[in-house]
Amino acid sequence: MRYLFLVLILCSLTAGCLTTSLAPVTKDFRLEYDEKRLWQRSKEEQSVLNNSGLVYRDNELEDYLNKIARKLQPPEILARIPFRIMVIKNPYLNAFAFPNGVIYIHTGILARMDNEAQLATLLGHEMTHCTHRHALRAFHNRKDKAADLATVQENQIGCDGAVDLLALLGSTGCMAAVTGYSREFETEADMVGIRLVVRGGYDPNEAPKLFEHLTQELAEENIREPFFFGTHPKLRDRIENYRNFLDTRYQGKKTGTKNTQVFLTKLHKVMLDNAFLDLKAGRFYSAQRGAKKYLRIKPNDPRAYYLLGEISRQMKKQNDTDRAKAYYKKALSIEPSYPDPLRAIGLLYYKEGKKTLAKRSFESYLSLSPYAPDKAYIKQYLAQCN
Amino acid sequence: MQGKGFYESPKHSFTLDIPQKWMRLNIDKYLLISRDGPFLQYVLVQERHIDQPFRHTKKRFQRGMLPQEAAEVILDEISSDQSVFNFSVIENIPATINRYEGFRIVFKYRNKDGLGFKTIYYGVIMGERFYSIRYNAAERYYFEKDLKTFERVLNSFTITGAQAV
Repeated sequence: MRYLFLVLILCSLTAGCLTTSLAPVTKDFRLEYDEKRLWQRSKEEQSVLNNSGLVYRDNELEDYLNKIARKLQPPEILARIPFRIMVIKNPYLNAFAFPNGVIYIHTGILARMDNEAQLATLLGHEMTHCTHRHALRAFHNRKDKAADLATVQENQIGCDGAVDLLALLGSTGCMAAVTGYSREFETEADMVGIRLVVRGGYDPNEAPKLFEHLTQELAEENIREPFFFGTHPKLRDRIENYRNFLDTRYQGKKTGTKNTQVFLTKLHKVMLDNAFLDLKAGRFYSAQRGAKKYLRIKPNDPRAYYLLGEISRQMKKQNDTDRAKAYYKKALSIEPSYPDPLRAIGLLYYKEGKKTLAKRSFESYLSLSPYAPDKAYIKQYLAQCN
Repeated sequence: MQGKGFYESPKHSFTLDIPQKWMRLNIDKYLLISRDGPFLQYVLVQERHIDQPFRHTKKRFQRGMLPQEAAEVILDEISSDQSVFNFSVIENIPATINRYEGFRIVFKYRNKDGLGFKTIYYGVIMGERFYSIRYNAAERYYFEKDLKTFERVLNSFTITGAQAV
């Protein structure tokens, strides 16, 4: 409701000052009157989001992401749009840009990427929505506003997490994040974005791979339509567009860098944290993939083995209990004083009726973690074991 | 509608006493009662089949789940909701509901307008059904004010569908 109200306000704001075309941001860029309002509204929505507890706080990661973003744009553009990249704790694959240059990336899509070139593809795309003033142009171009509103509502249906996002964000964020832009704007963001990737010295051949991750996500999660990068054109078409573009423009040319190792080093923490978020969301296969990917970077981190154990325990498929125990034991072999696997393994023994083994695990758990938040449950289990 | 007095759910699966001056929202799927409006305080009673999917987590309840495991599913459901801000768990302990082993969770959160709410959530799995009774109120003023009333409602809460499962 709040969203529709804001869209109506913004439509009425723009109705009196229609501009047939708006040039992309250059060094002579000046905000239009209604664009100032849009930027102000964006700031207010960002303030809500930044105080929501949903922002992933990691200064080192933020610095890294912002450094990559700055590589993609010339200084005169950076002087006009104060780009800032932030991360949202959300396992779904999404990213969205506010018109004033603040871009939010979900942990989910960061964790899924393979290298810096793919990250540059995402940033280039989102930054183009800002430099090419798509939010303002979208409002200006609306001739049939009632039909657009209906489309906005219709687009919300069938998008996992979209309803939440609508509740969270106002119109400016929602335009980019949930409903997406028109086919024209999304294609422009793709094509300008890939030039930025090349400008930044990255390998453009990685661009379609980002969309392949999204295609895989759609198949795994049975999502009807993605809301990342908009709903039009279809992902398959866009992968094809990228490939055609690369074949015609970059065929035979020396490719740029991928910076895989730097990327994985900088993002390893978010990979594990996101895998835990995937587990909370019940996205077991995503969580499993994330934990295994993390282990390829940090092969001796007991938290990843504990997480794999938790995934197996909670999936409750055939043989998963044995697999869970093996993961917990692996975690404990790396760090014997890690309490969480002890509690988890105790739960498995307890449910199997192996009271002596359960008791031993629970007692070890409480001795290592005497103020554990679930102490009351554990004491109850111990009483039963006795 | 006015809801004072003894209440029995349409499916005869639970009963409770609705306090004086509290209003009842008549919905088949759940019972919601409030005195000043659900934005300020409400008691919500729900009954669901354990296979029924949640909205924010793809996890499901399982037959034979321990109360702690069921509580974890509920916490994951709430904390995966992106419209719940600054979510924090204050307490998560075993609890007896109508003689059945269950859990009690107390948590706080803010909505997108920055208003703080506090919730006490009791849950129990009985066979193939999950029953919950929760008290949610604006953290400032209302939560404490109606806490005793909620405790009386909770004490009157009886799961009558237990024998049928």
